Order: sequence, then C-alpha cells, then structure tokens
Amino acid sequence: MVIEEFRHAFERRHDLCISMKREGKGIIGCFYGAVPKEVIHAAGLIPIQLLEDRTERFEEHSGLLPFLCGMSKNVTGQIYLGKYSYLDGIVVGTVCDTNRHVFDIWVYRKVAPFLRLLRTPAKAGKEALEFYAKDLRKLASELGRISGVEANGERLRQSVELFNENRALIEEFQGKRESLGINAQEGIFVVASSLILPVEKHSQLMKALLSEMRPTQPSEEDKPRVYISALNFNMALDLVSLVETYGGKVAGFDLHQSARYASEPIPLDDEDPFLCVAKGYIRRVPIPGVYDFEKRAEALKTEMERTKARGIIFLSQLYCDAYAMEHAILMEKMSRSGIPYLKLEAEDSPGSLEQLNVRVQSFIESLS
Amino acid sequence: MDVYPVFPESLAAIAAGIGKAEEFFEEAKRRGFSPSICSYTRCGLGISWCQKSAFGPIPEPDIFITDVSVCCLHVTWWAYLEDHFQKPTYYMDMPATDDPWDADYIAYYEDQIRGMVKFVEENTSAKFELDRLKQAVHYSDQAGLYWRKILELRKRRPSPVSFRSLAGEILPLVTALGDKDCAEFYQALYEIYRDQARQGSCPAKGGERYRLIWNGIPIWHHLHVITYFEEKGANFVWEPYTALSWGNKTPSGRLDPEEPFRSLALKYTNVLTNMPLEKRFRYFDEAIKEYRVDGLVMFSNRSCRPQSIGQDEVVELVREAHDLPVLIFEGDQADPEGFNMAEAKNRIDGFIEILEARKQ
Repeated sequence: MVIEEFRHAFERRHDLCISMKREGKGIIGCFYGAVPKEVIHAAGLIPIQLLEDRTERFEEHSGLLPFLCGMSKNVTGQIYLGKYSYLDGIVVGTVCDTNRHVFDIWVYRKVAPFLRLLRTPAKAGKEALEFYAKDLRKLASELGRISGVEANGERLRQSVELFNENRALIEEFQGKRESLGINAQEGIFVVASSLILPVEKHSQLMKALLSEMRPTQPSEEDKPRVYISALNFNMALDLVSLVETYGGKVAGFDLHQSARYASEPIPLDDEDPFLCVAKGYIRRVPIPGVYDFEKRAEALKTEMERTKARGIIFLSQLYCDAYAMEHAILMEKMSRSGIPYLKLEAEDSPGSLEQLNVRVQSFIESLS
Repeated sequence: MDVYPVFPESLAAIAAGIGKAEEFFEEAKRRGFSPSICSYTRCGLGISWCQKSAFGPIPEPDIFITDVSVCCLHVTWWAYLEDHFQKPTYYMDMPATDDPWDADYIAYYEDQIRGMVKFVEENTSAKFELDRLKQAVHYSDQAGLYWRKILELRKRRPSPVSFRSLAGEILPLVTALGDKDCAEFYQALYEIYRDQARQGSCPAKGGERYRLIWNGIPIWHHLHVITYFEEKGANFVWEPYTALSWGNKTPSGRLDPEEPFRSLALKYTNVLTNMPLEKRFRYFDEAIKEYRVDGLVMFSNRSCRPQSIGQDEVVELVREAHDLPVLIFEGDQADPEGFNMAEAKNRIDGFIEILEARKQ
C-alpha cells in the first residue's frame, strides 16, 4: 500500500540518498525548514533536511555541550559518524542559536565540501527582501558550481511550482487524513518523508495516496481528541503512542506547519523569482520570534477546530530554548482562549517521554 | 533624540549581581518559562511583567527597540514583549552571518539605523537632529577611546585593573553612550588606573603571580569568583567581554562623528560570535602574546549559546598554539541555581596549583 512507502522512505532515507548519489545526483543537507529548498532544486541538486535519528545514541558522539538541544547534538553526531557522508554540502538557515552556531563548528571541522550560512533577515520590508534575494542569488551561483547547472530564474520558477504543488498535496492530505482512515503515526511519516525525498517523488506518492485511499466510515468512539504541537518526529511518534495508550486520539499535529517545513505556498507574483522566494520565506516559516505569535496561535486554534481537538499538547525537546519560549507564549494565548493545554519537555530517547506518562494520562482524563 | 532607554537585560544582570533577581525568576517560572531559556530573558521578562527593577519601579515604556544581532532569543523575547504589551517595536535587523565585514551587510544595517530614527519620530514626539547625533557619536567615541586606553594599561605587569571592577564599570558603556558624562567618566577612570599603574598597584593579593584570560560573560551572581582568583595571586588581564564586545568596535578603533550612521553600522555589526572560530581564536592568540597570559578560564554559560558553542574548539586552537592550562567553569550568567561556590573554589585551587607548577 502506498501509505507504507512513506514510513519506508523515512526509515531508509540514508540508503535512498546513497542510491541517488550512485545515480550521479547531488544532495544538499538543509538544517531546518528556513532553507529555501527551491533554490537548491533549481540548481539541479536534491535538498534533504538533516533529521534526528534514534537508531544510535548519536548525541554522545557530537562533542557538544551537555546543555544544548538534543537535535543539534544528534545531527552533529550523525555527521561525525559518517551517516551524511554522501552530502555535497550543507546549508543552514537560522532557527535558533544552537542550529546557527553548530554551523561554526561544522566549518571548523570541515564536515562537508560546501557549508553555507544563509543571511536571513528577521524583517520583511523592501530592503530586507532585496538583501535576502541577493543572498539567494549568490547561493544559487555557488550551488551551480557544484552541480554544473545554472539556477536561473526560469528553473527557479519551475522549482517553486513543484514545491508549491507538494505543499498543496500535504495540505489536502492533512485535511482528509482521518476521513481516509490514516492514523496520526502514519500521517507523521507522510510529512516527515517530504523532508527527505526528492519533491517529485514525494508528490507522486502523495497523489497516489490521495487517489488510492477511500473515505472511511467515521468512528463512533468518543475518545478525547488531542492536537500535538511538536518539532521532533521521533518524540511526536512517541507522544501519539502515549496518548492512544491512555485512551485519547491524536486529532492532528503541526509538524507540517513548524520550522521543519515551509508550508505556506510561495506566490510567483514578481518577475524576479528570487524575490518571490525571499518573500515566500521571510517571516512565513514558523520560526519562534520571527513568525507572528498571534498568527501562530490562530493557526493552531484553526487546526484544533478543524480536527475537533479538545486540547493541545506542546512537546519540546529538553534544552530547546527556542521552542520552550514559543510554547510558553502560546500557552499564555491558549489560556486566554480557555483552551486546555499540556506542556511537556523530554529528551529524544525511548522511554524519556514515558516518564511523563502520568501527566499525559491526567490530561487525557481531564478532556473526557 | 531625548528618548531615554531602559535596558531590561542590563537590569537583569544588575539584579543578579546584587542578589535580587529571585522574584523575577519566580515570576517567569510561574508563567511557564522553562529554565532552558536564557536567564537574561527570564529575569528581563520578570522585570517587565513586574514593572520594576531591583531598585524599584521602572516607567512604562512608550516603544520597544531591540537588536537582532547577538542571539535569536533576543528576537523571540522582544517579539513576546511586543505581543504581550502591545507597544510599537523596532527590530534592528542583523541577519545571521559569518562575514560581518561584508559591505552589503554593513549597508543593510546602516539602513536599519536610519529606519530606527524614522520609527522613533513616528512613534514619539522626538525629532532627529543630525548635529546632536554627531555630538553623541563624538562622546561615544571618547568613552570608547578611554575604555580602550584602560584595557591597554592591563598589558603592564602588574596590571592595575580588576576584572571584577571592570564588570561594573562597563555599565555606562552599555547603557549611556552618547552622553558627555559617560565620556568624562571614562576619562576620569582611565586617569585613576593610569596613576595606579604608575604606582605598581594591582588587585591580585600578594602581587600578580598569574595573568589570565576570562572568556564569557561574568558570573553576575557570584562575582566573588573573580575576587577568589585575585586572592590567589591571579589577575585577569584580558576578556573578549571587555575588549571585543563594547566600545569602539570598528576596524579603526574610533567612531567618526562626521559619518555617524556609517560609524555606528561598522561598530554594531562587528559581533565576535558572528565570526568563524579561527578568526575568534586570532583575537585570543594576539591577546595571549600582548598581555603575556599564563592561563585561560572559560565560562561555559548555559544561557548564552552563541558564546559557549565553539568554546571547546577555541580552547583546542589555544592549546595547539600556546600550550596554556585551561579551566572550564559551567554555570549560568544570572541564574544562581546549581552554582556551588565551594566547588568553584576547589576547582580554582587546583588550577592555581597547575599554574604554580608551571612557574617552577
């Protein structure tokens, strides 16, 4: 079944990338969703996001400080152990101080042939957009030297259209997921795999999924419905299990609307597609502090309404200051709106979230 | 422009320094702000919610202005303030970079400064006057000049200056630049230290036996860590915090009042943590030679990721080039939770023994 291919791709992502390399494809690692993958794609390279991996304790190989977030440590450990040795380069778009500054260490340790920090403004005024568009053009030129492909305006337009199509398919899927009988865990793999598959392939799978699946009879069960706001895929999967263990149902999750994935479509409303991409990314990827908090809260409330969720669980990774801050702010807004919430902080390890089971259980019961 | 700034971050450091930060941390905790979050942010937010500092009430602000240069959390902190208190807010945008000397980058920031002026005019009754800015830049330059002269005195053996004193004396450089008083203060301070240098005075007890570098923000809640070093004959003679973070951080070491916007852009874009690690190491390398340093103390500060990440790599480079002993402290700049002075003293004692053994 098509749905299984998403999990399969996610779990075999390194093997898939190695195969693509053997076919002569170039691959660029992106450190989070603030990196405009369209520019990478236009340069004839495949953008894949660096993702957390729990198959080993990669954090222990990172050499990074103990009080840094596990995600950066995990990714760094994977890099040092050669899991990403197939990459032609890494591009970092700042989401937080840790992801920004591990870049400095990666440069020092020369972990990839090409390492680039994007100069993403925090504002979206005319000067900022022009400044960023110029940086993106420079990036395109640098990537072109790797691939031998000129990432010109026309190619970039085509790339934007491809990724916009993918965004629309994910949005459609999220809207129909439950009615198609796809559970939350499978849904998470659908989103997660979009970050590691070539966009053409992911969209092809999405179309096949949407045409293959048929609406199912809505379930009669009256389980407390919960919405999850999280960044880490492994932990989100753990939380889904925990919620279901205690009699709840995960009605939805925002992994596709977080800093992992730039979900807002990029309007091609300017003759300069680099300016379109700049406009499409600045202040439109939900990066804590840079994305409007009210807009973020409203988006979550809209999602909760759509999925009929009665409460929301904010799940952040231990030592993740960016999301600890965002979640505190969002909780304040949820509280004002009378929406029940639970905040959890845990490590990305099996069993870490399990230790918070009592809190999850109490929360589910409170929603009954 | 006759707009008076209140700096929650500096007030947070001061509150921590005088042991009056607890109520602000408690307020942050009560509101669900995790200890993972920078202690300046938590304490600064506490000050903002409580509308008071460690010294008493603070006036309600009319506008908010923040930089975006040093850390991402600044943006989130101030975006929260904007959202929570609903005040007009201006962000001095400085995108992440590893090349702060790039001409486009400096030009972009210069635009931000001009934009800030417009913002202040649009949101207050203040009016910009170029001559007043030139005058302010002149006084700022003077303050920075004398600050640099003070730091140069520390090349002498012994250095007359205590890092503990500097940690407090730096405050006007952070909060009052542009005032004539500030420039005169640093001139007077320099003259005091110059006279002390001529007399051979030194804060290290029994004479300056070891000359050290401190890397990181001071441990505000336990500044007597520095005093303890001094009691053991150790004197801090250079810190990136005092030498590279404040004052005239331009390539020429001066500000030009005739080109105020450009000068300020050159100064404020020059952020140490926006430089590649090898470049940061070069500053240490020069300082170790010029200040004749015997050892390094690195403060691994869990609140300040920009300063702490990459510290180990800089230590690696220092050890390769100079074979100096290094002591690493872990802790937090403003939150005393978990800090144990007795343990710190033990570690300092051990480090002093190493320094002494190297002298034998």
